[in-house]
Amino acid sequence: MALGGGAATATPVRRILALGGHEFSSRPADRAVCELLLRLAAERGGGERPRICILPTASGDTSEQIASFYSAFGERPCEPSDVSLFRLGRRPLALRDHLLSQDLIYVGGGSMVNLLAVWEAHDVASILSLAWRQGVVLAGQSAGAMCWFEAGITKSSGCPLPAAGLGLLGGSLCVHYNNEPERRAAYLDAVGDGMPNGYGLDDYAGLLWEGEGAPSALTARRGARAYRVSGERGEVTESPLPARFLPAPAPAALREDIAEFRRIKTMRKRAGWLS
Amino acid sequence: METAARQIVAFGGGGFSMEAGNPLLDDYVLGLTGAERPRVCFLPSASGDADHYIVRFYRAFCAHRCEPTHVSLFRREQGPGDLRRHLLSQDLIYVGGGSVVSLLGVWRAHGIDSILREAWEAGVVLCGLSAGSLCWFAEAVSGFHGEPKRLRGLGLLPFSNCVHYERGCGRGEAYHRFLREGMRGGYAAEDGAALHFRGEELSRVVASRPRARGYRLDVVGTRVVEMQIATTFLGDRGAPAEAPLPEALSTAPAA
Repeated sequence: MALGGGAATATPVRRILALGGHEFSSRPADRAVCELLLRLAAERGGGERPRICILPTASGDTSEQIASFYSAFGERPCEPSDVSLFRLGRRPLALRDHLLSQDLIYVGGGSMVNLLAVWEAHDVASILSLAWRQGVVLAGQSAGAMCWFEAGITKSSGCPLPAAGLGLLGGSLCVHYNNEPERRAAYLDAVGDGMPNGYGLDDYAGLLWEGEGAPSALTARRGARAYRVSGERGEVTESPLPARFLPAPAPAALREDIAEFRRIKTMRKRAGWLS
Repeated sequence: METAARQIVAFGGGGFSMEAGNPLLDDYVLGLTGAERPRVCFLPSASGDADHYIVRFYRAFCAHRCEPTHVSLFRREQGPGDLRRHLLSQDLIYVGGGSVVSLLGVWRAHGIDSILREAWEAGVVLCGLSAGSLCWFAEAVSGFHGEPKRLRGLGLLPFSNCVHYERGCGRGEAYHRFLREGMRGGYAAEDGAALHFRGEELSRVVASRPRARGYRLDVVGTRVVEMQIATTFLGDRGAPAEAPLPEALSTAPAA
């Protein structure tokens, strides 16, 4: 790394976070995922208020997905936004500038086939690839995770079938691994039939690529695992990867209570009530 | 074998999506099917299959006068398994408004583009408003996002198309410019006006509002010639027709 080199001069580290499945709820595992997204965005150099943008394209830009994203990040130290390609008519924005100015771009779940088709129609894929090369963290769950790979297993047509992704990451990915047995079975068949080797991710398991080399596996829920899936001469093997556990931060209400408690403690200390 | 009548009704805007309480255009397309209880399938793809839009469709096309269904390409696991079979078995396919760029992208990904051509050739009436009008033409003026853009549609109708063609809306100016720059001639429709094609020829223009009109646009030399087309207002059956003569200009495509 160049000494004192800012993000502008050093070659940006390319980061992608692929998640097998999660929601934006107040449950501990979901809070752990949000905390990780916030940390990755802040590390990218966004300072106190990193910019995080959701692309809800795979869902057809449903209000539910957008609202749950804002409920998770609205009150947190970041600048959340959404790019809804189906609503650009009512809410015009400079697509390219907006996406390239983010610290983290999060892609929601839904139909992987539609996601890639709509991105292609709006020329979003090339912008995302550029953002990645410039160091913007790319993240997503389900369809929003598989889209970065060469291939994935999608239920966009009803039953699980192989589909091509953007190919920013080599290999393939199958999400909801132990949560949707039929999807996993289709993946094992596909890898046996020559789909590039890759990974299986349970809900609440993730893989983080930082620069070159192998990804690190993460888990936000005990028992949720990431697997390396490889096929050789028709024989497919699944090996679980050692994963780092992501602890859940205290819920928002509790965080406020803790802050309040600390303020009172400090005041008391100043007043000499405590030794 | 007898060739089925190929019909497309392209709304400049209107129908249940835009004209709550005015069912004239929707009734017109239902009437074209000739079926007592027509099978109607709604394609809300251009809206991203928005739930509220699908609900409004079922409210407007209620089950006592037709057999309504919809296809959500974002939720294929819930819909009919065999899309081709489902779409080909319809009397009317109704395409909703939204982003025509997204619409065409998603359709191609699911092979809907070729199924719709097949349905059209088999005599299924195709209709839609806004993005659901532009999509049928070879070329279209999309004003959905920012500056009006020129784009290619499915090309069932070998013309260009512009929707929401209201006075001073910016689309008209852009359409004229595109025509001068080489876009093929075509048709524009105001909100409430619908272009009814039989085969590849405009059969008539109908309207749900007395003043809504359709237009034919062609380039002659370097000049754009815009002609208002005589339009049939679908309401007030008893009332005398609104001065049709002065605007009864030629609707035939230039030779």
